[in-house]
Amino acid sequence: MRRRLVALLALGGVFLATYLTLYKLGLIGTLACSIGECETVQTSRWATFLGLPVAAWGIGFYLLVFVLALLWSESALSESRALGWTMAALTGWGVLFSTWLTYLELYVIHAICTWCVVSAILATVLFVVVLAERPWRSPELAA
Amino acid sequence: MGKDRVGSNKGRRPGVVKETRKSSNRAFYIALAAVALGGIAVLSYLTTRSASRQVIEVDPTLPPVEAVGYVLGKADAPIEVLEFADFECPGCAQFAILTAPDVKQRLVETGQIRLRLMDFPLQMHRNAWTASLSAACANEQGKFWEMHDAIFAAQDRWNTQATGNPLKVMVELAGGIGLDVSQFANCVETRKYQANVQAHMKEAERRGVSATPSFIIGGKLIPGAIGYDTFKAYVDSALAGVSAPR
Repeated sequence: MRRRLVALLALGGVFLATYLTLYKLGLIGTLACSIGECETVQTSRWATFLGLPVAAWGIGFYLLVFVLALLWSESALSESRALGWTMAALTGWGVLFSTWLTYLELYVIHAICTWCVVSAILATVLFVVVLAERPWRSPELAA
Repeated sequence: MGKDRVGSNKGRRPGVVKETRKSSNRAFYIALAAVALGGIAVLSYLTTRSASRQVIEVDPTLPPVEAVGYVLGKADAPIEVLEFADFECPGCAQFAILTAPDVKQRLVETGQIRLRLMDFPLQMHRNAWTASLSAACANEQGKFWEMHDAIFAAQDRWNTQATGNPLKVMVELAGGIGLDVSQFANCVETRKYQANVQAHMKEAERRGVSATPSFIIGGKLIPGAIGYDTFKAYVDSALAGVSAPR
């Protein structure tokens, strides 16, 4: 059940990150520079990471979590501890990265982008739900 | 999942479990489809909505423009278009490079409009002020529009991402359009026209401009880098004295 919840949340995250990427690329909203805080965040030099918009990395992250969560809940791999650990590590990394981005917004850029914060919360929820599955437990023991 | 399955199956007949799993599968697939369709619907709504811009009426009781700005066109043109621009804004560069040449050639030079440009350097663009001062100093030597074009064309060489020393590029550009470079550099460094740029910003704020580029055409404030056809449509309706199309 929880694994399916992870898949659903991650799918929502894919759309959220797609929105932020389209916004960054100027395909959503007027092509203009405005005084808004989202604008400030998205045009800052931290909005790009290794040559790609941070939001585009977000799409990749949520897509990967989504696919792995489907495998984890629906396929024969649901018994795999390695997959459980991968889910924990991946979503844990998501929390760390989101924390770093939120720190930048609050203390370096001094502006808050609402949907970026929603993404940070979503990443945290994903991690918590994955942990609630206790992926370190071996299936044999549980059975 | 393994634990849940064993736990939840306890004491139930296999047939019942099968039924429950089947219906919970269906619920899961429906939920997946709902999230997917909802996401696609919201995204497509947002991408198409950007086509209709948030045009607002300018308060007609506002006093006329006090700052001079930079004027292109004939004094007796029937309407004046106000443009507020930030030299570091990519949207402004797009307008300057793609749309402005047509506007100049087909509307300004034919005497239909007069264009008055004012600076609106946004706080987030750290190098925009240097560009505004540079444009003002080029104006001092009678070459504002040449500098305007050069600054926008080279935006990615002097913006905040590119350099911490935009003046170096500005001096290069000034030399390129044939300005007296030492007079120019001195003018920018002493911030000779700072008060002018501030006056331009004040006009923008008074008119509720919150984005660049923004245009005021016939009593309407239009934000965003509009294309030539849209620009022309607003000019036409201002000329005709009827309300602008969406």
